[in-house]
Amino acid sequence: MITRPAKAFVAFAATAVLLFAGRPAPAEIIRVVATTTDLASLARTVAGELASVDVMIPPGADPEAFEPRPSDLAKLKDARIVIRVGLGYDHWLDKLLSLHADKTINRGGVGYVDASIGIPLQEVKGRSLDVTGNDSHAHGLANPHYWLDPANAEIMTGAIVEAICAIALQSSATITQNRKRFLAQLGTSIADWESMLNPHRGAKLIAYHNTWPYFARRFRLDILDAIEIKEGVPPSPARLARLASTIREQKVRVILQEPFAPDDASQLLARRTGAALIRLAPSVGSIPEAADYLSLFSYNVRTLADALSAGPN
Amino acid sequence: MIDDVLAFAALPLAAAIIFTGIHTWFGLQVLRRNVVFADLALAQVSALGATVAVVTEHAPSTAAGYAYTLLFAAGGALLLTGSRSLVQSVRQEAFIGVLYVVATAATILVVDRSPQGAEHVKKMLVGGILSVSTDELIRFTLLYAAIGALHWAFRRHLLAAANEAANERTAVWDLVFYLSFGLVVTSSVSVAGVLLVFCFLIVPALVGSLFSSSISAALIIGWVAGALASACGIFGSFLLDAPTGAVTVLAFAAVLVIAGGVRAFVMTPIEQRSQNRRRALRTASAVICAGCVLSGAWAVIAPSGDHPLLAAIETVSGIGPEQFLTARERVDFTEAADIERRHRTEVDRLYELERRSRWQGEALSADEVRRLASMQQTLTEMGRGERFVVAYLRTRARSIERWYIGLPLAALGLLGFAAMAWSPTRRTGSSCAGRI
Repeated sequence: MITRPAKAFVAFAATAVLLFAGRPAPAEIIRVVATTTDLASLARTVAGELASVDVMIPPGADPEAFEPRPSDLAKLKDARIVIRVGLGYDHWLDKLLSLHADKTINRGGVGYVDASIGIPLQEVKGRSLDVTGNDSHAHGLANPHYWLDPANAEIMTGAIVEAICAIALQSSATITQNRKRFLAQLGTSIADWESMLNPHRGAKLIAYHNTWPYFARRFRLDILDAIEIKEGVPPSPARLARLASTIREQKVRVILQEPFAPDDASQLLARRTGAALIRLAPSVGSIPEAADYLSLFSYNVRTLADALSAGPN
Repeated sequence: MIDDVLAFAALPLAAAIIFTGIHTWFGLQVLRRNVVFADLALAQVSALGATVAVVTEHAPSTAAGYAYTLLFAAGGALLLTGSRSLVQSVRQEAFIGVLYVVATAATILVVDRSPQGAEHVKKMLVGGILSVSTDELIRFTLLYAAIGALHWAFRRHLLAAANEAANERTAVWDLVFYLSFGLVVTSSVSVAGVLLVFCFLIVPALVGSLFSSSISAALIIGWVAGALASACGIFGSFLLDAPTGAVTVLAFAAVLVIAGGVRAFVMTPIEQRSQNRRRALRTASAVICAGCVLSGAWAVIAPSGDHPLLAAIETVSGIGPEQFLTARERVDFTEAADIERRHRTEVDRLYELERRSRWQGEALSADEVRRLASMQQTLTEMGRGERFVVAYLRTRARSIERWYIGLPLAALGLLGFAAMAWSPTRRTGSSCAGRI
């Protein structure tokens, strides 16, 4: 004899089977950890709702002065994919990964993405802008700010998509479609940005930190020198005097400044020479207007074009 | 360029002289009170206030940011005042040390909540005297003149409080001292940084105290020494092409050493003077002899290690490591050094080519950029290989050189020590330095 509760359970189970029959099983949310906000933004764009993306370096922080905390190790706990900038920029990740038992997110694993692989690198060997033999800015193998050329997003998203597809093959069509849509939008945006900066081709600039060589190549700009040639060491007065001469002689109209870097020296030069000091976002989230990868460039290109248009050519 | 040099130097020099003016006075009192590190503790407490301001989204230059900093500095001043009467059985310096480390740890914890906190802490430490503005200079002049006038009016009470044992009356003047000290340190640290402010405070006061026990004479001597050190530091940083703050700190140290030398060798009674000279000569000789023994022994034990003294001897004498190689090895040594230099030049040329292509002519394709990068990387690796050859041959040379130069150097040092041990009995005053 079947009891009433048993009957109710059978009825509930039958209803559930009828309701969910024929539907595919919900895809597992993939945990992704990116070292920087730029890589996280690209991962979110291509993975959409199929992945939850955590970032290690907080938005607005100086990535080159970042030191991981215990909570960053916890972030890696259930991660299936780890995305890094590479080239020594996020060197601290190696230590965290070595403490991590899951070999799939370690170097050589399917979940390990070094986004620098395949990028056309600039300033290999960490050359500084100063070519007078002062081999200063040790940026690892090459200048690591390659995400600041938007065309490199194609290579970076390619690596991210490859890793996600290796883990969740059933989602590959969706992810590939997401990437295709993003790249189409990016292509249109790059054309717009290039046309905005095209009138200023060859414009001479001074940067606080050697962040912008990839950006300069994409938008045909001439970054003559950097104020800070050694990370964390303030420029000497003699260097500032030389830079002031360069700014006047080469008719530099704009000084580029990162929001998190000290701006005393840049302001001093701007006051002394009349050059405009503008803050550009080197990464997603370093200023509120740069909320994602595309808006990062929209903001930077617009701000720079406005500053260059303000003065005589 | 010269205009720029003068323009960049004028305001920092003026600021440094103003800082010297007020800090020397405070420094003399600090030395009398025997609380040398009170400055660091107060600066760190006010830095904690500035950090809290940054985390609560008030820039340190705004009124709110300044208010936070002052509030914390006043709290630090109260704690320092209280510590003098509370801590009777131990030195007040111990309490000051605790205050400093607690304030530093708290700053780190607060900084952890702000993405840009690390940059802020670094700025508080090294400052940015080079970028001081005219407005800031006027503000400092007015503030320090007011505090200076207050201290001048009550100088007797303040100095008496510094010299007396703690009691109820001194507590009031201690509070006046620490509050005004906190105000000065807070303002100065925001521009000059903790390291430089410590120098402004202690070094001129120390120089003044070396030459006179009268506070007014010590103050004037301190002012002159501080102004001289500031000028040397700021113009020295132009000449050396080095950061101003760090060079100025070293300039203050140099002035202190020179002042110590003048005090010991010129401005002492004749019998004391000759005794000081003998002591200095013996110390210098001992240091040189120890350097010779250690360097020579180190060359014998580890010819592949770093040998700064040996390298200096090689440079001065022209007897390089290649002198100890065979003819074939010598050719390899010179060739490897030349090839490494050529590779470096080629890497520079490729770098310049890539840099110019960013805006000049047709843009390079991604593959062309990759090719350039690959060539640079290859040349760099090849250069590293040549450097390895040079280092290997240098080690081979040093393993022979150690018997010809390392061993005699160590023996010379030991002989020097023997001569020093022998000389006092004969009262000859000779030294191994003279023999070397």
